[in-house]
Amino acid sequence: MSEMSRMKFYCDEDRCIECFACSVACSEAHELPTGISRRKVITLNEGKESLEYSLSIACMHCTDAPCEQVCPVDCFYIREDGIVLHDKETCIGCGYCLYACPFGAPQFPRDGAFGAKGAMDKCTMCAGGPLETNSSHERHMYGQNRIAEGKVPLCAAVCSTNALLVGDSQRVSQVYRTRVLSRGHNHIATPKAWKSAYGS
Amino acid sequence: MRFKYIILILISLASLAFASESAIFGKDLIPNILAYDKEGSLHLGKWFTLLQSTYFKPIFLGVLLGVPAVFFIHYKIIGPMIFSHDRKKIYVFSVFNRAIHTIAAISFMLLIPTGVVMVFGDFFGGGEFVRINKDIHAISTLLFVISVIPMLMMWFKEMLPTSDDIKWLMILGGYLNKRKDPIPAGKFNAGQKMWFYVCTFGGIIMIATGAIMFFQDFKFDFIASLGLSQIDLLRASAIVHNILGFAVLALFMTHIYMSVFAIKGAIHSILTGYKEEEEVEILHSSFYKKLNKDKKI
Repeated sequence: MSEMSRMKFYCDEDRCIECFACSVACSEAHELPTGISRRKVITLNEGKESLEYSLSIACMHCTDAPCEQVCPVDCFYIREDGIVLHDKETCIGCGYCLYACPFGAPQFPRDGAFGAKGAMDKCTMCAGGPLETNSSHERHMYGQNRIAEGKVPLCAAVCSTNALLVGDSQRVSQVYRTRVLSRGHNHIATPKAWKSAYGS
Repeated sequence: MRFKYIILILISLASLAFASESAIFGKDLIPNILAYDKEGSLHLGKWFTLLQSTYFKPIFLGVLLGVPAVFFIHYKIIGPMIFSHDRKKIYVFSVFNRAIHTIAAISFMLLIPTGVVMVFGDFFGGGEFVRINKDIHAISTLLFVISVIPMLMMWFKEMLPTSDDIKWLMILGGYLNKRKDPIPAGKFNAGQKMWFYVCTFGGIIMIATGAIMFFQDFKFDFIASLGLSQIDLLRASAIVHNILGFAVLALFMTHIYMSVFAIKGAIHSILTGYKEEEEVEILHSSFYKKLNKDKKI
């Protein structure tokens, strides 16, 4: 797998204005049930002057995805372009991926027998699932497959300040580096969990 | 009465599970992300990932194949103990004992295979079959919940450690030879006691950790006051549940082997309540002496 084809999200913490457009657009586009939100906007150091900043987070499509390592039924697969996806028909809703995930990305609708956890749901980077691409079955299970249509994932497409970057990791880091070089980087508090998403 | 409280606890837990403020995806999400692998944290995310990805499955496989293999060799080389069924029979298990044991036995016969199926979920291809096993695992827990406390109470006194237990462990219960020497043991031998404690105290921990994982998204102020986040509680529960699972699986298979194969006809005592006199005289010699002294035979 060449580094050139590695897909990544990155949220520019200096640009995110906490408008929640990404989160709302995602939930609407993929017709997610209430209570499931693949993309969330979080605010760090809330209320602390000059330290407060917001970020949009979802599944970070980690390089050595811990969810994929712990799944007892092996329902995860990592595409050649690095997008971490899973098969909902194989998933048993045990919750192990959530325990392994540094970002709290996997979520479980309680639609199983007796209110048990159903199949896990998480961000697919708008790349659908293992079913036939753009079939109605795929859309119903995993939401839109915008990647297959050559479109940008909806969250990044609607980001009004272009804070949420997505694409080939080299390009994403190039864009971000250019921004930081011209305006500086104003946030020192980088969560350790980033290591898992972006390598060390 | 106890049953009523259990139902009440389950209902309150269920209502917690549907509480609006999520303990995982709500405002706790940020401290959880920041705490992940941070210095001074418990590193449970990393630990769980390492253990589940690398160690748990091979250890379960080792137990699942290793324990029966050892017993197969034991059966072939040393063979089963055969006691006379012509002598008197001694009444050892009351109707209550047997009823509680039966409920627990049914729950274990459901819990253990379904648990093993989940551990080797990829072998079974996941999907509907493993999902059904997961649901059976959850439902059959209720049978264990109602039997574990009565079992703990009805046998606790006889399960307390005695000096016989050390002697029993030194000779491994006399199972390494076919001689019919009197074995130092009371009503229950050290092996049975081990199984009892893993089943009852371990079983209660299994129920608690299992329930935590089943309900997943709830918040107990007590746990939060210990400084343990909900996600770390889940990680710790999964680790503990798996490690105790090794012991339960190994001792469950041992229990089956002893009652069905190693001591011919031993299983009948838990069905009828009566043990063969010779079996008691040899395998539970201290208990037999005591019965003789009390003129109960």
